[in-house]
Amino acid sequence: MIVDTLVELLGFSAEDPAFWMPLAFMGLLFAIVVAAAVLDGFDIGVGCLTLVAPGELRPRMMSLLSPWRDANEFWLFLGMGVFLAAFPNAWGSIMGQLYLPLMLLAVGVLLRSVSFEFRLRAPLDMQRRWILGFGIGSLATAVAHGLLLARLVVSYRSGGGYLAFGLFVALCCVAAYCLLGAAWLIMREQGPLRLHAVFWGRRAVRWAAAGAVAVSVVLAFANTGVFLKWSDGPQWSLVACLWIVLLVCFVAIELSLQRMVTHSDGTTMLPFAATLLAFLVILGGLFYSFFPYLVLDNITIWDGSASVSSLRLVLAAAVVALPVALIFNIWVYWRMFGLSRAPVPPGLNRTDS
Amino acid sequence: MNTTVWLSQIQSLVSLGFMSLFLLIELGLAWVLLFFRLADRFSPGNAWMLAYRFWVRVYALAAILALAASMPVLIQLGSLWPGLLDRIGDVAGPLLAAAILTAFIVKSCFMSAMLFGQRSLSDTAYTAVVLMVAVGTTLSVLWVLALVGWMQTPAGTGFLNGEYFVVDWYEVVLNPSTGWLLLLVAAASGLTVAFMLLGVIAGRASSLPADDSGRQVFRTGAVIGLAAVLAYGVAITGYGRMVATHQPAKAAATAAYWQSGVQPDLALFGWPDERRGSTRALLAWTHAGGKWLGRDAEGRLLGLDHFSGMHPPVALTFWSFRLTLAVALAMFVAACGALWCMRRKYVEHGDLPPAWRRFFSGMTFLGWVAGLAVLCHVLAGQAPFVVNHTITFLEIAGPANPAHVAIGIAAHLAVYGVLLLGFMHLLRHGVQYGVVPVARRRGRA
Repeated sequence: MIVDTLVELLGFSAEDPAFWMPLAFMGLLFAIVVAAAVLDGFDIGVGCLTLVAPGELRPRMMSLLSPWRDANEFWLFLGMGVFLAAFPNAWGSIMGQLYLPLMLLAVGVLLRSVSFEFRLRAPLDMQRRWILGFGIGSLATAVAHGLLLARLVVSYRSGGGYLAFGLFVALCCVAAYCLLGAAWLIMREQGPLRLHAVFWGRRAVRWAAAGAVAVSVVLAFANTGVFLKWSDGPQWSLVACLWIVLLVCFVAIELSLQRMVTHSDGTTMLPFAATLLAFLVILGGLFYSFFPYLVLDNITIWDGSASVSSLRLVLAAAVVALPVALIFNIWVYWRMFGLSRAPVPPGLNRTDS
Repeated sequence: MNTTVWLSQIQSLVSLGFMSLFLLIELGLAWVLLFFRLADRFSPGNAWMLAYRFWVRVYALAAILALAASMPVLIQLGSLWPGLLDRIGDVAGPLLAAAILTAFIVKSCFMSAMLFGQRSLSDTAYTAVVLMVAVGTTLSVLWVLALVGWMQTPAGTGFLNGEYFVVDWYEVVLNPSTGWLLLLVAAASGLTVAFMLLGVIAGRASSLPADDSGRQVFRTGAVIGLAAVLAYGVAITGYGRMVATHQPAKAAATAAYWQSGVQPDLALFGWPDERRGSTRALLAWTHAGGKWLGRDAEGRLLGLDHFSGMHPPVALTFWSFRLTLAVALAMFVAACGALWCMRRKYVEHGDLPPAWRRFFSGMTFLGWVAGLAVLCHVLAGQAPFVVNHTITFLEIAGPANPAHVAIGIAAHLAVYGVLLLGFMHLLRHGVQYGVVPVARRRGRA
């Protein structure tokens, strides 16, 4: 139905590549963002948590992340690549407004990827410092994500109030990543680390919820178009549904964490699953609010997209890469859920793998 | 000039420079490692295998840094130069997507197998993986160089309403610059790696006993070094002629040729003073410079006065070129010296005189200097244009506050400094105490 309206509005036919190719790339971009949040989010969260974890637990937290590092590093590259190749005419207008947060993101991502790998190869006495580097890099990445999100929802307006809002969202974003990381640790590990993770999760959950509400409210009140889209027309029931799911998620996390303070022996995926669902709902809501704009009320995905011949080329490349990416990621993220299993030393009989 | 613009230029150059340092090592070492594997198959003993095991760890460090350091470069492409892709998105988008995609496939399919899978693959399969990593890395670099080359000498495109559109992709990729730039980068990475091999082995010889593996690596380094210096000479010559034909402003700045039409001297040394429009303390070879300068339609030589101020910073262009030549010359002497030291078949590199050891040890990272200087000449020599003759840096610069960009430069420099120190520390530690084996198993921790 939305497609029909759009087709009519833009004067394209639905089969016209100039119409559907930008849509396909938008879908791909959204999929990459979701994958990054689901698969890389806990990585950033655990990284932030290493800063507050007791020293003797930090190496274990790092080694828990180790199997996914190779793949996690790449999400940002893929997202950037798709955005740049498919929407070059929106790339500058968006990125140019975001110098400071993007600078923080660049530095943070650089520091955390290198610190993680160098720690594995460093002598023992230097490993503590590389763990610190990983923590600081993760914190910078989380703060940068928050600042970017804040700038995005206020359509790059600046001034005193917007700065305060940006800092608040950055704080909440760090909390949300910490919650995701803590929930993942609760699922992966038993013993003292889980106890700490429960404690961290309880600290973080309310800030994360506050951030989700703040972002939605500001998004709606700062942009009339979005407010209309939410409140007007037949889609309001969908919006209400999203809000209810979000509320249920946060309540479920809060309750299950509270329960775990006294019953922390059994393994549970509930907090992690609920946090992931909350992340997905927030991302989906943002996507729904923005669509079909890249910059609200200004640049649509059709304005921003590259020429059809250029898109066709990139799509061909994406078709080659997608199966590789899928197979590789399924292969790597195997056993991401549930309790961590220890690696089998080489030479032993591998019956259970 | 606008403060934001030159601060942005500095930041871009710093980020690109830091990335290139490790890209040069990654690219060169990938092929050297393949050579070690192949040499191991065809010779008895485990000398080559020992060399492989050590240098693959160094390769891992460089590859990690090169990949991670390309993220700031990619981000700055948008945050510092927001106008760029609006104008050249049709060319740059697919080329950069191809580079990222190639890097992704190399990393996901082959790099993990190379760094963590040696035990689980057969010897032949593992060597094939090493080959694929070398080929893939080269291909990924090729895409980026095609873009850089196209920005130097645009070809195969049309320019309409301030925007480029592609007419012929073959011409875009095979523009006049790409080939020379590729040769230049290949030779520079050969130089970087060769002198790292020589420097590390010579440095190790003063504290650890010499072994067969070290001797083989030293010999390899000397041969690669000499070959790379010669290739570098060819590449610089070809690049210089190409610049004279297609980028007369850069050629005139490199030669410090101020006035069109006067007798062209080949300036060897001096300090180009842009304000006075002449070169101080000039040491020149009279009438020998005409070959390296651009000419207009009537065959007159083009000097700096011809470009009405739209020429690159003269001193920077002049000296970055001479610096890279001077370093290459020093490396030529050193590579010949290394071969002279190894002239007898069974000489130990441990028998090198201490002066020679210190000499090679001091030259360990000299390849970086040559690489950075030539990068500076290629990029800064094109200012004030970012795409030759059409798009200037001023046009594509962003609205960022100069103070913010200055903070950004400081933050990047701090992190780059820490990572560079970390790399040096790990390399020195590995040389002294051996490398740490690293395991990573799928889905288990």
